[in-house]
Amino acid sequence: MNFVIAHSYLIPLLPLLGAIVAGLFGAKVLKGASHWPIWLGVGAAAVMSLTLLVGLLGRQDVVLVGGAEHAAAEAAHAIDSAAGFPLAHVSHWFDWIVAGDDTGAKFNASAGAFIDPLTAVMLSVVCGIGFLITVFAAGYMKGEAGYFRFFAYLGLFIFAMTCLVLGDNLVMLYLGWEGVGVCSYLLVGYYYDKPSAREAAKKAFIVNRVGDFGFALGIFLVFYAFGTISYFGDGPGLVGPAFHKGFIEMALNPSQYVPIGRLWALEWILFCLMLGAFGKSAQFPLYVWLPDAMEGPTPVSALIHAATMVTAGVYMIARLSTLFVPHHAAMVTIAVVGAFTALFAGSIALKQNDLKKVFAYSTVSQLGYMFVAVAVLNPVAAVFHLVTHAFFKALLFLSSGVVMHATGGELDLRKMSGMKKVLPKTNILMLIGCLALAGFPLLAGFWSKDEIVSAASGKSTVLWMVMLLTSLLTAYYTFRLYFRVFQGPELVPHGEHGHGHAHDAEEAHAHADHHHNHEPFIMIAPLAILAIGALFAGIINLPFGAGVSAHSLGHFLSQSPSFAYGYAAAEQTYHGGQEVDAAGFGQASQEALSVTPLVVGGVVALLGIAMAYALHLQNRKKGDQLAVSLAPIGHAMERKYWIDELFQGAIVEPLRAFGKVFLAIDKYVVDGAVAMVAFVPQVTGFGLKLATQRGYLQGYALGMLMGVAVILLWVFA
Amino acid sequence: MPDVFTKIALQHYLVVGTIMFGVGLIGFMCRRNLIIMFLCSELMFQGVAIHFVAFGAYWHKLSGQAFVIFILALAAAEAALALAIIVLLFRQKQTVDSQAFRELRG
Repeated sequence: MNFVIAHSYLIPLLPLLGAIVAGLFGAKVLKGASHWPIWLGVGAAAVMSLTLLVGLLGRQDVVLVGGAEHAAAEAAHAIDSAAGFPLAHVSHWFDWIVAGDDTGAKFNASAGAFIDPLTAVMLSVVCGIGFLITVFAAGYMKGEAGYFRFFAYLGLFIFAMTCLVLGDNLVMLYLGWEGVGVCSYLLVGYYYDKPSAREAAKKAFIVNRVGDFGFALGIFLVFYAFGTISYFGDGPGLVGPAFHKGFIEMALNPSQYVPIGRLWALEWILFCLMLGAFGKSAQFPLYVWLPDAMEGPTPVSALIHAATMVTAGVYMIARLSTLFVPHHAAMVTIAVVGAFTALFAGSIALKQNDLKKVFAYSTVSQLGYMFVAVAVLNPVAAVFHLVTHAFFKALLFLSSGVVMHATGGELDLRKMSGMKKVLPKTNILMLIGCLALAGFPLLAGFWSKDEIVSAASGKSTVLWMVMLLTSLLTAYYTFRLYFRVFQGPELVPHGEHGHGHAHDAEEAHAHADHHHNHEPFIMIAPLAILAIGALFAGIINLPFGAGVSAHSLGHFLSQSPSFAYGYAAAEQTYHGGQEVDAAGFGQASQEALSVTPLVVGGVVALLGIAMAYALHLQNRKKGDQLAVSLAPIGHAMERKYWIDELFQGAIVEPLRAFGKVFLAIDKYVVDGAVAMVAFVPQVTGFGLKLATQRGYLQGYALGMLMGVAVILLWVFA
Repeated sequence: MPDVFTKIALQHYLVVGTIMFGVGLIGFMCRRNLIIMFLCSELMFQGVAIHFVAFGAYWHKLSGQAFVIFILALAAAEAALALAIIVLLFRQKQTVDSQAFRELRG
């Protein structure tokens, strides 16, 4: 593990090298073997990340069941003591952007890693699941045109994402943030000969720009207020003149560090950063790009648009929770936006007929849960749900990729039924994923989602009800999809092969090869590992001690300075009142395990599944009739509440009209001026030619004579 | 009798040179026969050459004379070229009137 900490730069570097090798040599040399550099690079990064995770887990102070008071005292002490965070390491790679001098404001964005439990968890998710998906992709993308390009982009994505979670300052975070945005753009537009893919790629990029604009302003304001953009400077908990403090530490006591005249910036920072998080993590109203981003290849949807990139916003708010916690308005905004998005996207998912679209809206909805979790002062639950969601949503997307692979790109769930005969293994894997997403008792999603729901119940009844309703919708739409596609009478569409995209001889050959086996090992093996995660990932943060100690993830995360400072800020804000649930920050809590929310959550999930069973498997006719009787609502959901049309009418068209004005100005005023500059000498020259060059030799001579006379007069007179 | 009438001094040469130049200039301006115009330009040339030689003798410097040698050589070459061009022009239009060749204008 010490090796990993000392050479943390290898984690982003190896996937980048893989991407460079695949990008430079993929087209001509590697061809069908272009996945190897990426497998090796991302695989090595995954091994390093998991080594780091295991190493940090081994080093954490052991929590004894029943030793809660001791642990709480320890945690309170941790912030004061210089060596309070044995699991946190600052690793400086090189000075990246340095401006100003030591006398005034010095801007120093170093390239370096901040390694703590939160980083380790995020890295393991990104690299671990990323590696599984690259393995799957080698089977899924076999024979596609631009195979090497796909893998080069994947490697680049892992590079950017690891920079994002590893970075020890906001500029590194921003580098990764923009990097994943670019990779998302490139991969969504992978089938660039398809107009819809091009449009979706542009939409993803442009909508993200709106959020990133806010994020950039937030970073400027952080520097303006604190004079640094480093999370923890030279290291958390360090004191003394030789040490540079990071802004997260300063945020605990802003009046001491922020100049009086700049205190106003603190609240603005939050709303600016929030805008960035809402854009990247697809929250209302900036969620519109995510469903369209499903135009990309399915492994991309699984990796970028479900498991990793879209969780960057949640990661950022968890990382900076010390800043967010003291500001009630910001937290309320996050809670309202998160809860509304969860319900809103969940309701759209009810009536979507495209497998990937259902899961896309489900992802938006689940991200809403994570935002609610951070807003109700429970970032541990947010990270917990982030991890379990990464497992089961990647599983679901990849399973629908298998379906797509078998049916030749068909994704409409109305056109298929009873696929379990054709895809027996995928059936089981998809069932596991659906159960986990629906929150079926004892599966991963059950623990993580119900932790959020019960945390919300402690804050506000309305929030609790919204979250429960969303759980019901989640279970219903998930199993509507499952029952429609995998159960019931068999109906297997046999569309054209090749995911409905470009064809060439190689591809046709590749498809002929596995025509008999729709479930090649290379695609099923990663799914099986993800399925194990979807089944058992809940074990990392059980609310009670059973074999493993209770809240082990929470305890681990509480040793991240971000969470410890966040808890301290919460305590400071609410003066240790009932509002703050210590377990939300992973601190040992005195509160007894309450079974009620778990039971309610489980019942709601079962109810949703039962409803889906009744309407979409047992009696499909009845379900269809019900849909007809509720047509107006269903139509609104099917058309996604006309939000896209609203955006088109309210933002895109006015902007386009505005653009046309500028186009006219450019064409007639600017270009007109340029043309005039050329036109005037031309006309003058033509006139002069007519006036002077008339072909009378004597005239020329007279002209010369006059000219000489003028010069002589000029010189001598 | 004043000196100016008895001794040939610098100013006499200058007057002759200037008159030659002036006659050439007026001729160039007023005549339209290309050969005459060419002769007039030669006249202006030689007027200037007389100035050079006169100043060279006055200052006892040889550079004036040397310069005139070059001018004469140049004028000879130029005369050959110019007369050839005039012959060619004549062959086109059977005239050497400068007005006849106005279409050669820029």
